[in-house]
Amino acid sequence: MPHDLNYYLATLAVYFLIYCVLTLGLNITFGMAGIFDFSYITFMAIGAYFAGVAVLPPSNVPGLQWILGLNLGFPIDLLIGALAAGVFGLLIGLVAIRRIRSDYLAMVLVAVWTITWSVTSTTIGLFNGQQGLIGVPQPFEAQLGVNPNDYVFVFIPIAAAALAILFAVAYCVERSPFGRALRATREDQDVAAAFGKRTVRLRLTAMVIGCVYAGVAGALTIEFLSAMSPNAWAIIETVIIFSALIVGGRGNVFGAVLGALLVRILIIEGTGLLPTLPDHPELIGATRNILIGLLVIVVLYFRPQGVIPERRRRYFESRKPAADPSSEVTKGG
Amino acid sequence: MAEPLLSVTDVVHAYGGVQAVNGCTFEVPEGVICGLIGPNGAGKTTLVDVVAGALHLQRGSVRYAGADVGGWPPDRLARAGLIRTFQLSREFRQLTVLENLLVAATGRIDESLVGALFRRRQIAVAERALVKEARGLLEIFGLDALRNDPAETLSGGQKRLLELARAVMAHPRLLLLDEPMAGINPALMGLLEAHIRRLNSEGITFLMVEHNLGVVDRMCEPVVVMAEGKALAVGSMADHRASDAVVTAYLGRGRPA
Amino acid sequence: MELFFNSIGFGLVTASILALAAVGLTLQFGMTNYVNFAYGDFMTLGAYLTWTLNVRLGWPFWPALLVGALLMAIPVLLISRFVLEPFAKRSGPTFHILIVTFAVSLILSNLILAIWGGDFQNFNVGEDAPVNIGPFLLSIQQLGIIGLAAVCMVAIHLLLTRTKLGKAMRAISDDKNLAAVTGIPTQRVTTIVWVLSGMLAGLAGGVLALNVSSFDPNVGVTFLFVIFAAVVFGGIGRPYGAMVGALVIGLVVEVSAVFIPSAYKLDVAFLVLVGVLLVRPDGIMSLLARG
Repeated sequence: MPHDLNYYLATLAVYFLIYCVLTLGLNITFGMAGIFDFSYITFMAIGAYFAGVAVLPPSNVPGLQWILGLNLGFPIDLLIGALAAGVFGLLIGLVAIRRIRSDYLAMVLVAVWTITWSVTSTTIGLFNGQQGLIGVPQPFEAQLGVNPNDYVFVFIPIAAAALAILFAVAYCVERSPFGRALRATREDQDVAAAFGKRTVRLRLTAMVIGCVYAGVAGALTIEFLSAMSPNAWAIIETVIIFSALIVGGRGNVFGAVLGALLVRILIIEGTGLLPTLPDHPELIGATRNILIGLLVIVVLYFRPQGVIPERRRRYFESRKPAADPSSEVTKGG
Repeated sequence: MAEPLLSVTDVVHAYGGVQAVNGCTFEVPEGVICGLIGPNGAGKTTLVDVVAGALHLQRGSVRYAGADVGGWPPDRLARAGLIRTFQLSREFRQLTVLENLLVAATGRIDESLVGALFRRRQIAVAERALVKEARGLLEIFGLDALRNDPAETLSGGQKRLLELARAVMAHPRLLLLDEPMAGINPALMGLLEAHIRRLNSEGITFLMVEHNLGVVDRMCEPVVVMAEGKALAVGSMADHRASDAVVTAYLGRGRPA
Repeated sequence: MELFFNSIGFGLVTASILALAAVGLTLQFGMTNYVNFAYGDFMTLGAYLTWTLNVRLGWPFWPALLVGALLMAIPVLLISRFVLEPFAKRSGPTFHILIVTFAVSLILSNLILAIWGGDFQNFNVGEDAPVNIGPFLLSIQQLGIIGLAAVCMVAIHLLLTRTKLGKAMRAISDDKNLAAVTGIPTQRVTTIVWVLSGMLAGLAGGVLALNVSSFDPNVGVTFLFVIFAAVVFGGIGRPYGAMVGALVIGLVVEVSAVFIPSAYKLDVAFLVLVGVLLVRPDGIMSLLARG
């Protein structure tokens, strides 16, 4: 039936838009600044949880508990979620982002995810523990009185607007001296410092920006799905976002968007259409993740720059006639 | 008498039980091309690392441009005009040649996030000027045709030139060169020498660590001889050649390091 | 006071598990110079191999554990030879290898999920009697864990100090290029150390799963950062440092459970990890080592 198909495609569109926010954020933290934020999904969760408890009223159902419960509307709750993720990222960054080697940083960040995950899962009073937040009111749901089946069409412009803003920001960063300083820091932190760059401050900024993006994605997710539980942010989710960015092409916004399309939509949704074996419900998901892992390894080996490589920018040059050798079209890769 | 641009006094840096720099003292007046020579293991690169803030100043003092800079991190020194090059060329590999130079222009363009979002027009103006200056420099060093190529695709000699061009783009007052002529063919060596002399005449002071004594002979005055972590002698190459202490330091001190 | 001694006893058990894992990880780092983020999944795999021998084939636990650890050699060889080392050999941005180990973790954990399913499992170990040893109250199994770790630590020590292989390992760990130039077969030694690291991971995973009694495919990953803490504490790449780190972290974690809710005791390891990285990134042992 056409409505079901429209509904399905619309839902895919929302997932795609939200995933773009995730990959764009990681592109700034990892693609441009070279920080292995292996805890990235944690900030999505922080954004989701804080947006959730901002929009939810205090719990009045026995057995369900959460903090705050501010009963605020959209988009205030999204901003609170993004802010919470940013602050969390700043606190962690202040401790972790120093002149230490990247593998130590990665280890600390893995620990951040582990601890956050275990604390939120076991502490019922925080965000309702393992069950997670449920019944989160969707933006404008009450005002518009829309049929739940049609709500997705309301949410698409909301997600698209958020993405448009964040895409514009990421694009500005990519083309700016700030972005160039991030890339120099990524290439060689010591040499960047030897040329006057405040590398710790730059990296910290990049990390916090990424965390804010993840927070927005989390807030959008919980607004759309009305729920968020620890199952949604296992550590493999970070690996998958990295995969999307690496496959699509890191260091540029278009690669981030393409990666979201290829991995989140094509691969994940594609494998989701496969029939499930009744005895082994986890097999499809496991196979999908194995495929993604293999894909990342293959891409990193044969084409590490991804499908859309980081653009080699020309500064203030007009296209001259082909006779001039200095205007050779940029070769790919 | 004007204070020297750089003065190093009783500097000590040891690691893992090795006293790499063991009470080193010398001065570099403004405007010279100062050589820093000595046998292997004398502590020359360690000293440069300490002066450039890359290594911890454990004892002693370093004064630069009238200030006590012991403990200053490398980025602060760089913003004060103290720029160094590295023994093995360390270009920003995936940045283009032009971008390598643009990055060096710290303090001359807004590199903040806020600027990236809200001051795009001012940044574009500043960037246009920087690009013009950078391309002029690349032209002089013969690298302009390669300006949009990733720096990692350059040949070894081109990377040396890039290293120097990038250092110049930073508008240094004192430029520390760490073995700029190592592994360089004679033609390129002449080119580098000419560039260094020209830049010196335009006002840049140099401190050059070098093993190639011919180069030092032709270009450097004064020359500091380091041995066993100390400054053994300071003077001209002629003086050093005549000095027994210097000759022994180079030739007769136990096993060559 | 009794509670305190009990927690020290538990601390020794945790330290034993940690020691096996941390020494394996740090030895491999010493050879390859990168951290293996799939190590937690190596441990999980070891636990499940042991489980298969123990529950499916009916073997007693300890032989199953030892054989399971030996079997780990196969997947570790395949992964290190065909996936990880090809990346390590390339020049270029070194960050690729960290992501590759992360991807290997993704693949391995899902393979385990696909093969064994996601339900919680237990070992077939029968009744476990508590024993009073001095002021400590430990079970037979826990004593077995401590004993196993002690034997392995001694064996590692002998390996490092008395054998040619051990000397080669120490040389490569110090300076790989120099070692290669002096004729040490670095490739072969590295492969052997990978296998050793995998087997230690298998042992550690098996005893970890035994100690928590119920385990699922996430058992190794959730413990991974505690291992990181022990490794970093002792100084990455230093096996004796890892042993000390394991002891300290194991004790700190369990004793802290006396003062804070035990659900958070592992989180204490995070504080230690961060503290060490802030104050002494080279590890505490660097204070004691030469110079």
